Amino acid sequence: MLSKIRESGNSWKNGTVKNITFIVTKDCQLACKYCYLVGKNTKERMTWKVAKKAIDYVLEREDEFREESVIWDFIGGEPFLEIDLIDKICDYLKTEMFRRNHHWFNSYRFSFSTNGINYHTKKVQHFIEKNHKHLSIGITIDGTKRKHDLNRIWKTPEMELGIQPKPEDEKGSYDQVVKNIPLWLQQFPDASTKVTISSADLPYIKESVLHLYSLGIKEVNINCVFEDVWKEGDDILFENQLTELADAIIEQRLFESHSCSFFMEHIGKPLSRERDNQNWCGAGLMLAIDAKGNFYPCLRFAQYSLRNKPAWIIGNVKDGIDQNKLRPFLTLDRTTQSKQECIDCEVASGCAWCQGENYDAADTHTVYQRSTAICKMHKARVRANNYYWNKLFRKLKLEGRREEFEKQKSKVKNPIC
Amino acid sequence: MEIRKIVGKVSPEERDEIQKLFERKNGLAELGKIVTVDNDELYEKLVKDMGETGTKFQQWWDEKAKQYGWESHPKGNWEVNFQTCEITLVVNEA
Amino acid sequence: MLTYLIILLDDTSTSYCHYEVNRKKRNLISIEDLKAGIIWAMKENLNVQFVYPDYELPSEYLKIIDSLDHTDIKLFRNGKYADVVVLNGWGDDVPEGATCIIRCCRKELTEHIPVVNNWLKRLTRLNVVLTDVETFKDSDISNYSDTLSSLGKNIATLYASGHTPQLNLLTDRLMLSEMNNCGAGDTSVTLASNGKFYLCPAFYYADEKDCIGDLHSGLDIKNQQLLRLDHAPICRQCDAFQCRRCVWMNQKLTMDVNTPSHQQCVVAHLERNASRELLIKLEKLGVRISNSQPIEEMNELDPFNIVNRWK
Repeated sequence: MLSKIRESGNSWKNGTVKNITFIVTKDCQLACKYCYLVGKNTKERMTWKVAKKAIDYVLEREDEFREESVIWDFIGGEPFLEIDLIDKICDYLKTEMFRRNHHWFNSYRFSFSTNGINYHTKKVQHFIEKNHKHLSIGITIDGTKRKHDLNRIWKTPEMELGIQPKPEDEKGSYDQVVKNIPLWLQQFPDASTKVTISSADLPYIKESVLHLYSLGIKEVNINCVFEDVWKEGDDILFENQLTELADAIIEQRLFESHSCSFFMEHIGKPLSRERDNQNWCGAGLMLAIDAKGNFYPCLRFAQYSLRNKPAWIIGNVKDGIDQNKLRPFLTLDRTTQSKQECIDCEVASGCAWCQGENYDAADTHTVYQRSTAICKMHKARVRANNYYWNKLFRKLKLEGRREEFEKQKSKVKNPIC
Repeated sequence: MEIRKIVGKVSPEERDEIQKLFERKNGLAELGKIVTVDNDELYEKLVKDMGETGTKFQQWWDEKAKQYGWESHPKGNWEVNFQTCEITLVVNEA
Repeated sequence: MLTYLIILLDDTSTSYCHYEVNRKKRNLISIEDLKAGIIWAMKENLNVQFVYPDYELPSEYLKIIDSLDHTDIKLFRNGKYADVVVLNGWGDDVPEGATCIIRCCRKELTEHIPVVNNWLKRLTRLNVVLTDVETFKDSDISNYSDTLSSLGKNIATLYASGHTPQLNLLTDRLMLSEMNNCGAGDTSVTLASNGKFYLCPAFYYADEKDCIGDLHSGLDIKNQQLLRLDHAPICRQCDAFQCRRCVWMNQKLTMDVNTPSHQQCVVAHLERNASRELLIKLEKLGVRISNSQPIEEMNELDPFNIVNRWK
């Protein structure tokens, strides 16, 4: 019996959350080809001194950081390469939030985006056991072995010196990562994975999403990169893959228990200039801290994330946050950054932007020039998405379950006692 | 065998109350794994808080169950869904 | 729409605005560039403003400058009778009926209120340009507000007696019904002595590489829309119409040209509120300002806090 349609994006606390990111290391075991972190290196690691200063700065200002909840986010490189530091940071956070009677003690999470390679290690497992109820861990597994290994390759000593291996010498990381998936899902049954699509990945989208489902991952958050990597014909290939995926999901009734972020009911509609003008990108509302103790509006503004522009630093642990430097982010809206073509677009809803990519690709020093490299890909997605929902709604109607779907739109997840 | 049945619903404000207590309870439990007797002041504060929070947590369930008259079962327990505010009776027949 | 061309005749040309001139060495614009700039302005139908250095220019330059209608901006010493006179200091004996600019910090302005009041008896217009807006703190609000109030009282007295000088900080807002800002990059551009175009002189002095074209290739202003009011989310909902909306200070303090800093907004709102106070005084004295409209009472000094972010 159809009890629900599983929807994706069941976000904790529905948005009243401060996201604080510690860039604990720039080191990683992998050298993923699509990684936007262009300046990764083995040298920059956050020290405990810097981390403690940053934590004290934030927690001392409870009246300035008034969000109801906090997500303490750890990123790299590969964050679990710094598990000792992370463990120390989290212990300090818990103790200090409690000791200071900070309101965040009642509402916090520790979040990790990991390549999964170290997931099984004793130290990481001990950390998980210690903090289990407050953890959100996403392992990035890109799909089938051939898709995953296309991009997510091991780093070699030669790469550190700038020497790229020949394609035949590249070694993918799938085998090491997939070993840890069962353990991860056992510990976090509702976990989701984030999959990134670049040009070379397009032929493998359908098989990859289905493969991830077969591994037990029920929620796949999959997105195209914002950068200008797309070639002529990529949009058609993308559309075809999504259409085939749509057929598979519907025929196998996977929509009842699985979700894929490519298919969302609300995307592909025109947007009102007045009513639908809000910024959805959280840059400016979050805070990222690097190894030197510099503050950024989002980690995408740290130098190692940028190809063309200097870092956009908004302060540091010593001098605090310069609120003036946050103002552009907090007043950015959809129309001010967009060309008329985007404002008038008949399928505008769901077309995302990234302020970091805006800035990096812009002709001047601004976040107000929307990067539109994904335009064709978004339109292709919209066409496939329309196909999916039309087909699904028709199927539900023929089964006499269309009304039931409308009633059951709310998610059923995370019950507690 | 587990049987699940929706037996009621609380208001968003009531949901917020129990969610806050639930989160605090979890936080205190995890803090308990790292705070030791050596740290007198903090340890005492923690123990006291655990007691108080546990009491408030149970009180919430007792009060709401009485107020709403939810169906119960000797082998069952209630769960609250933080998204929908629904109360589910979960009975383990095994 | 582009309406003005500002030509910096020399690297040491006097500043008439917020920026400091950080060049000591003379670097006169080449005669070829001067001629080309003037011809370009004529073809683009622009009003030209020449900004002079503090020394006498060669006669051939003066002859070329005189070949078209223009505005001269000169330092008081050698420009007592220029169109716009930039005063050297508080001791200057201002020319009768002139339009003058005084650049000063807030403390100096407060200390020299009597001087300003005297000047206003003789001048048609005085522009006060504060050089320390960047360092304005919320603890300075009271002092600056008192300074404006004091200046306003004097202006009200002058107006009641029939003399109507303009003081940019206070009287501009009385006569405006919409934004009237600097317009750098939108209604005006600057030709520097190196023959290249800049949004305004401040950008030239901050970074010579930050040009927007040159006399050979023409103008090339990237993201020009961000210099316009409709692409400034805070400013387009604001009614401190007299604000300069200095895009150079925007970029310097917030790192984006279309976003003003807290300090700029607060200073502009203090001036706006002082204008409101002045308007009320004038109405009580029976003085009518033509085309003036009521200015609403507003306690919030930073529109960032109340602006409808998505409007």
